Amino acid sequence: MATTTENIGKVTQVIGSTFDAEFPEDCLPSIYNAVRVDSEHKGIHVKLTGEVQQHLGGGRVRCVALGGTDGMMRGQECIDTGGPVQVPVGPATLGRVFNMLGEPIDGRGGVEAEEYWPIHRDAPEIAQLSTKTEIFETGIKVIDLLTPFVRGGKAGLFGGAGLGKTVILTELIARIASAHGGYSVFAGVGERTREGTDLWLEMQEAKIGDTGRHVIDQTCMVFGQMNEPPGARLRVALSALTMAEYFRDKSGADTLLFVDNIFRFSQAGSEVSALLGRMPSAVGYQPTLATEMGLLQERIASTDRGAITSVQAVYVPADDPTDPAPATAFSQLDAFIYLERSISEKGIYPAVDPLASSSRILDPQYVGDRHYAIARRVQNTLQRYRELQDIIAILGADELSDEDKQIVHRARRMERFLSQPFLVAEVFTGKPGEITSLDDTIRSFEEIADGKWDHLPESAFMYVGPIEQAEEQAKKMEQEARA
Amino acid sequence: MANLRVLAKRRRSVRIIRKITRTMELIATARFKKAMDRAHAATAYTRRITQLVANLVHGGVEIDHPLLQPREETNRAVLLVLTANRGLCGGFNTNLIRAAQQQLNELRAEVPEVSVEVAGKRGIAAFRNRKIDMAEQFTQFEDKPRYDEVEPIAQRYLDAYITGELDRVDMVYMRFESASRQSVAVETLLPLGGLAGSEEGQAEQDVPFEFLPSAESILEEVVPTSFKVKLFKCFLDAAVSEQIARMVAMKSATENADGLIRDLTTLYNRARQSRITSEILDVIGGVEAVAK
Repeated sequence: MATTTENIGKVTQVIGSTFDAEFPEDCLPSIYNAVRVDSEHKGIHVKLTGEVQQHLGGGRVRCVALGGTDGMMRGQECIDTGGPVQVPVGPATLGRVFNMLGEPIDGRGGVEAEEYWPIHRDAPEIAQLSTKTEIFETGIKVIDLLTPFVRGGKAGLFGGAGLGKTVILTELIARIASAHGGYSVFAGVGERTREGTDLWLEMQEAKIGDTGRHVIDQTCMVFGQMNEPPGARLRVALSALTMAEYFRDKSGADTLLFVDNIFRFSQAGSEVSALLGRMPSAVGYQPTLATEMGLLQERIASTDRGAITSVQAVYVPADDPTDPAPATAFSQLDAFIYLERSISEKGIYPAVDPLASSSRILDPQYVGDRHYAIARRVQNTLQRYRELQDIIAILGADELSDEDKQIVHRARRMERFLSQPFLVAEVFTGKPGEITSLDDTIRSFEEIADGKWDHLPESAFMYVGPIEQAEEQAKKMEQEARA
Repeated sequence: MANLRVLAKRRRSVRIIRKITRTMELIATARFKKAMDRAHAATAYTRRITQLVANLVHGGVEIDHPLLQPREETNRAVLLVLTANRGLCGGFNTNLIRAAQQQLNELRAEVPEVSVEVAGKRGIAAFRNRKIDMAEQFTQFEDKPRYDEVEPIAQRYLDAYITGELDRVDMVYMRFESASRQSVAVETLLPLGGLAGSEEGQAEQDVPFEFLPSAESILEEVVPTSFKVKLFKCFLDAAVSEQIARMVAMKSATENADGLIRDLTTLYNRARQSRITSEILDVIGGVEAVAK
């Protein structure tokens, strides 16, 4: 690239993770262009890419640093690359781990990709969007029954700290990606680096069905974790998304995109927002919160050429779902899974709140009358149970009417039956993961609601697959009690 | 943070419930005292009657009364269950109904024909819900059962027993042992088996009595009375136990409500505080940004 036509500027100001640069007035780099700093001064080598965010006038541009700004100083040269950051896309990226700039970080040498795509792209046009609606089975009872995923849709896992968002996401990767023929892309946004490493190692071990190939062979991963500066966390989701878009557009295969955690994207945006001179909006978030989220989410779409099914974890600060960041993400999703602390405190995992969670396709038109009716019955029972909880707390369960007692009786069983052993948690629980088919799930809940299993003790419903396993567990417990 | 309005509404409803439970507790305490006095008064009479029978027996009379003889074959039995007319008394009704259900199952296994008689709306509702037919339903017994209300029931049993239409009467009620102890009692009232040998009767056995006109004629009169009194005593016991149960249940309910109100108040205050803080932050942030 070292040609004479290069557009070279000078750094004029460095503030935290943003910096200003001055270019000749007639050849300012465009917004979103990447500018590179690569120089050495007093023995400190600074290699950094920034992204132009604002034109300040007077030939100056304001950039977000996509790496650490340590050692940067005024007067350093910066080079306009003439376009946004480009990341490698295509088959060469499979099995590899990248950072936000598209540089491999797995220590396996360079990537020889045939194509590089810019990370800022337009969302697919309206006419190209796919309108198919099809249920996407996960084998997790509570999800399939109450918040069915849409094939080619977006699902969000909302939850406060430590409720198991990452575990559910990993579980979904284990379930979907290992049964899935297409490609998967994982974006690690601002989460723990250790979790990323764990996932990477796990994918290297896990096999796809019985093809003998490993999950990692069909997956590419992009990380911009907690240790990265806000600029990197802000753009890493786009890098991953760009790679997923390639698979969708070129191979036409069903592509899976996992994002952990989309809240960090908003958070990174808010970290740089004030530095860019924007006035903070509600709860201190950036005024462009909805725009940023929209730009990202609109690109995660299924077109007539291929589908991207995405599952995103969304951190809910202080367990408050009305916080602007999760609230903005919420409106973009097809399926909405809310993890509730009081449920995880009962030891029921996945701690999905059956009343707060919902799905766009939980509608008789898509899932069928039977599924819909049973899902609603389960929700009604649990809703009534929740309403009665104050009365039970004050007066005791003895004071309930017989109908209410029966509702409580069944609700407590349903509540426990919504738990399920996970494939990825086998090492902790000692119980093998359970993949329950949708038919089994619907039938099991129907029978519980009809009162066929009222005689089993509550604990028999914990961590089982279909209802027959609860029966077995009850028998086993009885035998143990006798022995 | 939880919705302030929702929290405030919930707290208000818990407060109202607390007001009710607190009032119920006070009423139950007052009623319990009255009911206990009545029970105590009746105890003296019951004891005396039992003693009399015992004295008669020890006076050398050969016991030969139809009510005292067990039947060789039991064909028809009655199960009388005493429950409360009202709820809000903890496990009182539930425990009685559970015991009654169990006794009914046992009786049905032994006796070909069992009819169920229930006192108290709660019990009636429960049996109706379980689709068990009731021969008789009584709802007139409140916390002050009167002897002349109980007497006809007792008389009906006696008549039926003597004519052979009835072979056994079982009763499920809450026995009052002390103010801190009540237990579900399942007793067989007819045939009057243990009457003669009952413990209380042993007390004054050395004192010789003379019976006029004759011991037999007195026995004829005393045995049915003794049964009636015993049945009445059960009703009194049930009434006292109900009030105690309600008192205890309402006391703990009030305490629970207090705890809930405390928790809700903490939550409410915290939510309110954090809302204020975030609004102040918003204002300050805005001012700062504009000032720049």
